[in-house]
Amino acid sequence: MTTMNKSVHYKLTWHTRVTRTVLVAVTALLSACAVSTINISGEFPAPLVQKLPLTVGVIYDDAFTNHSFIEINDNTGDDQYIINSGATQIELFNTMLPAVFENVIHLDSLESARTYSNLDAVFLPAIEEFQVGLPRKTRLNVYEIWVKYNMRLAKSNGDYIADWVMTAYGKSPEETFQSVDDGVNDAANVALRDLAASFTLGFSNIPEVNEWLRSENAL
Amino acid sequence: MNTQQLLSLTKSLFFATPAFLLLCSCTTTEIDEFRQSATEINQGESIVILGRRQNNNYETEEDFVSCVGGVVARGQNSISVVEEREFLDAMFPFFEPRTAPMRTGHLEQLMAIDVAAERIKEFGIAYIVWVDGITERSDQSGSISCTIGPGGGGCFGFGTWSDDSNFEAEIWDMNTLTTVGSISTDSNGQSYMPAVVIPIPLIARVEANACNGLGSQLKQFINGT
Repeated sequence: MTTMNKSVHYKLTWHTRVTRTVLVAVTALLSACAVSTINISGEFPAPLVQKLPLTVGVIYDDAFTNHSFIEINDNTGDDQYIINSGATQIELFNTMLPAVFENVIHLDSLESARTYSNLDAVFLPAIEEFQVGLPRKTRLNVYEIWVKYNMRLAKSNGDYIADWVMTAYGKSPEETFQSVDDGVNDAANVALRDLAASFTLGFSNIPEVNEWLRSENAL
Repeated sequence: MNTQQLLSLTKSLFFATPAFLLLCSCTTTEIDEFRQSATEINQGESIVILGRRQNNNYETEEDFVSCVGGVVARGQNSISVVEEREFLDAMFPFFEPRTAPMRTGHLEQLMAIDVAAERIKEFGIAYIVWVDGITERSDQSGSISCTIGPGGGGCFGFGTWSDDSNFEAEIWDMNTLTTVGSISTDSNGQSYMPAVVIPIPLIARVEANACNGLGSQLKQFINGT
């Protein structure tokens, strides 16, 4: 290779390196600005409680099944995190409800409940509010999740039995080198366990539920 | 000062500084025990060590609870320890932050529930130990700067901080459903991080010392020695 060719080859190689470095840096910057999706996942133990001798249908509507919370970047107003918890919420209720009631039947709608003659009640959980506390925003060294549920209990013909609000709270300490995904997931799992604990131990004590259980000789 | 002299000085500092500071980055640990009743543990019995997580400002770390359990479960006169997570899952929902018994009076109510009493009996739990506390960092000062260039890189500077571990263990007897005693540990130490080309961490193992101290004292307490 002649001196001139060597010089040109060196410039091209250097130029290629610089271009690649700039491309990598720009890609990294852009990916840092992109929305991050966090899919909550976890395993939940079955509650250790005595079952109520009831057959209950449960309806998970689309809003509950596909529940998704969007955390906004305070500075830019853009979406920062999308937290999908629907699947894990269903997993939790599918673990918890069979431990509380003798029989649990999954229903598509209140109308389909009428086809079951042995149903004692229909249970409809709904998420009213979902909040996330991130360390970089709250200036605390914990990840926090707070969820507000609306629980409805109805007879198989749709008649009202009870309608009450439950809240769940979970926090997880921020650890060195821990990702936001893991911190949020851990806090969410604590919150879901909190819900399961208060539901299983408090269900029979809801005044309207208690009255109904006594009328059904289930207590 | 020429380059060779500077290099020689850097080498001296590199070796002398850690040796000097090693003598200084030590930990002091104080352990107090308060016994209310006699204790003993028989063959086939076990204990469970749980962290208190009701406080809004902090929660007792799982790693620390696991560390204390490890100390109690090994060595001479070791005691069988049920893993915290295994116990919490098996006893769910009775020992969650919202539902856990806060006093031995609540424990009586829990043991009145047949399924809960049966599960605790299956584990052979003779004592429940509640650990509550936190390690806090303070007095941070100094700074370290690191640079990298075509010829190489390095860090220069000095940082120091103080750690204070404060934990208390309360022991509940599952036969009498009473508190039989408590052990508190207070451990603090100063850590240093000089950086001469590379950072040299001289970390005071405050939490590790608190764990070892609490675990050893707990083992002696439950064995009745």
